[in-house]
Amino acid sequence: MMKEKITILNENGLHALPASRFVKTAEKFKGDVTLIKDGVEVSGKSIMGILTLACEKGSTVVLTCNGVDEKNMMKALKRILEGQD
Amino acid sequence: MPRERIHKGIAVSKGIAHGTAFKYETKKVEVFQTPILSVYLHEETERFRKAVAKTKRELLSIQKRINEEIGEDFAQFLDAQIMMLDDKEILRKVKERIIKEKKNAEYVYNQVISDYAKKLSQSKDQYFQERVADIWDVGMRVLRNLLGLTHSSIIDIPVGSVVIAHDISPSEAALMNPENILGVAAEAGGRTSHTAITTRALEIPAVLGIENLMSRVKNGESVIIDGDRGILIRHPSSGRINYYRTAKKKEEKLAEALTPYCELPPKTRDGRHIDISANIEFFSEYTHALKYGAEGIGLFRTEFLYLTRRANPTEEEQYRVYNALAQRMKPHTVIIRTYDLGGDKIFSEYHEANPFLGWRAIRVCLDEPEFFNIQLRAILRASINKNVKIMFPMISTYEEIRRINLILRKVKKELASEETAFDKDVQVGIMVETPSAALVSTHLAQEVDFFSIGSNDLTQYTLGVDRGNEKISKLFDHFHPAVINLIKRITDAGHDAHIWVGLCGELAADPLAIPLLIGLGLDELSMSPASIPRAKMILRTLTIPDCEEIAQAALDFRTALEVKRFLRREIHKKFPGIEGVL
Repeated sequence: MMKEKITILNENGLHALPASRFVKTAEKFKGDVTLIKDGVEVSGKSIMGILTLACEKGSTVVLTCNGVDEKNMMKALKRILEGQD
Repeated sequence: MPRERIHKGIAVSKGIAHGTAFKYETKKVEVFQTPILSVYLHEETERFRKAVAKTKRELLSIQKRINEEIGEDFAQFLDAQIMMLDDKEILRKVKERIIKEKKNAEYVYNQVISDYAKKLSQSKDQYFQERVADIWDVGMRVLRNLLGLTHSSIIDIPVGSVVIAHDISPSEAALMNPENILGVAAEAGGRTSHTAITTRALEIPAVLGIENLMSRVKNGESVIIDGDRGILIRHPSSGRINYYRTAKKKEEKLAEALTPYCELPPKTRDGRHIDISANIEFFSEYTHALKYGAEGIGLFRTEFLYLTRRANPTEEEQYRVYNALAQRMKPHTVIIRTYDLGGDKIFSEYHEANPFLGWRAIRVCLDEPEFFNIQLRAILRASINKNVKIMFPMISTYEEIRRINLILRKVKKELASEETAFDKDVQVGIMVETPSAALVSTHLAQEVDFFSIGSNDLTQYTLGVDRGNEKISKLFDHFHPAVINLIKRITDAGHDAHIWVGLCGELAADPLAIPLLIGLGLDELSMSPASIPRAKMILRTLTIPDCEEIAQAALDFRTALEVKRFLRREIHKKFPGIEGVL
C-alpha cells in the first residue's frame, strides 16, 4: 500500500473535468484508490465521492493506492492532482 | 379583462414572441418506500440497472443533439453528468442496499444521491454547490425512468407556446424545439446561464430573472415576451398587441427584403470594400455570423468561456474553442479579444465601489500574469490557422500596450522553445474605448497592427454616463459630437500609421451612423450577426465622396440632436434608397 499527502495544484481545484480525468485514469488500474480530506474518505473511482470532498486549489488530500499496480497508479494520479496532466 | 402588467427581467435572447403561456414545471417525483420480497430482489436490482442504462442512452442522445446544434464546447456538462450516472460506487451502494434492506430501487437510489447532494451543498465553494443541480438533473432522470414517468415534457410543448418556468435544467434546455416554443421566460438564470446560451443559439426570444413569475402567470393566458427590452407582458392590451404585431411584421418583412444582401459583397456603390464582420459571445453563434454573411468575426468575447464555467478554463479547453472557431470561419478572420472581466467576477472576495472605473479587463490581466498567460498561449496556438488576430480591451495608457507586447514576446518565445506551432505574424490590436486612448492614439498606433473602436464604452467614458442608470440613460448618445470627433481622431491616427481601424460598438449597426462612419474612413464595421444584411444594403447604396462630405460637416455640430437631424437630411438628399431601413 502506498500513501502520500498531496497539495492540489490543479488550476481550479478538483472540478468536474479534472475529477473525471482522475476517475478515468484510476479505472485503468486494478488497485484500489482512496482520497482523504479533512477526515472524510472517498473512493478514487467515484466522481461523486471526489466532488463531495470539494477540493479547492491549495487544499491537501491523502492519496492511498493499494494493489499490484499501485506504484504506477500513484504516479499517474499524482500528476493529475498536481495539475501536470 | 384584467389590467396589463409588465414584469422586468434580464434580456438574454433577442426578438418578440406573443403566445400562450405554458407553465413548465418539472413534476416533483414522489418516492415511496416499499418492502421487496427476497425472491424479487434480483429483479429489483435488474430494474435499477435497466433504468440507469436507459438514462444513459437519453443523455447520450441529448449530447449528440447539443453537439450538432449548439456546439461541442457546450456539451461538456453532459460528460460530467454521464460520469455521475455511471459512478460505480453509487451503483454498487444502491445494489447492496436494495439487497440488504429489502427495499425498492427508487427509495434506495433517492437516499443515496440525496446524501451526496447534501454533502456537496455544504461546500463553501460556489462551484461545488452548483454541481448539486447536476446531481439532481441526473438523479431525477433515473427516478422518472424507474417510475415509468415521462420527463422532458419540454419536447411535447404545444405549438405557439411561451414557456414559463422557475428554471430549466441544462439537459432540458437543450431539447427545446423552436418550432413549438415561441419564447421563454424564467425566474432563475442570467446572461451566462445554460438557458441563455441555448435560447440564443436556437434564436428563441428569452427573458430570465423575472421575480415571482410562476405565481403570477396562469397557464393558457396570453403573454408577450420582448427579448430586446427584457420584459414580459401579461394581459397585453389590444393596443400593445397591435404595436408588437406591427413591429414584428415590419421586422419580418424587412428581414425578408434584406435576405439577398447576406450573399452580396460589402462594397460601396463606387467600389470600396468595407469589412462587415460579426460580434459574437458564444462559440455556437458563428453559425449566425455565416448565415447573415459576415466576413469574419470582428469581436469574439471570451468572457463567456469564463463565466459559464465560473472558473478559468484551462489552456487546452480554451485552445479547443479558439481553434474550432478559427477552423469553421476559414478563410475569414477571427479577432479574439482577451478577457474583459471585472475583478469581482474572478476573485469572489474582491469588491469595489466603481467597477467601470476599476480593476477590470487588461488591468486584471496585467496584474495576474499566470491567468493572462494561459489565455495568450491558447490564442497563439489557435493562430496556426493563419486567420486569428488578438485584441486587448480597455487600454488607457501607452505603458499598457508596451507591457502587453513584452509579455506577448515572452509567451511566443516560450511556445517556440517548446516547439509548439503558432503564427509568428499574428496581428495584434487594441480596443480604443477610453478617451485617454483616443487622445494618445497616434502613439498607440506605433505599437499595434489595428484599432477597433469600442463605441459603447467610448461613449460611456467620454460622456461620463452609465447607460445602465435609468435616470441618466437619456444622456447616453453615441452621436454626441465629442464621440464623433474622437472617432475621427482615432481613425486618422491609425491611417497615418498605416494600420487599419474598425468599430465594434452598437454604432456600427446604427443605419443612421453608417454613412458617417464610412465617411470618417473606417475600414471595418463589426456588429451583431442579425444586423449585417441591413448594414450591407446601406453600404451598397453609398458613395465615398458623399460620405466624406457628410462626415466633414457632422464634426462641427453642437449637439447629438443636431448631428442626427443633419444625417437624416443628408440621407434624404443623397441616399433616399435607404430611408426605408432607418
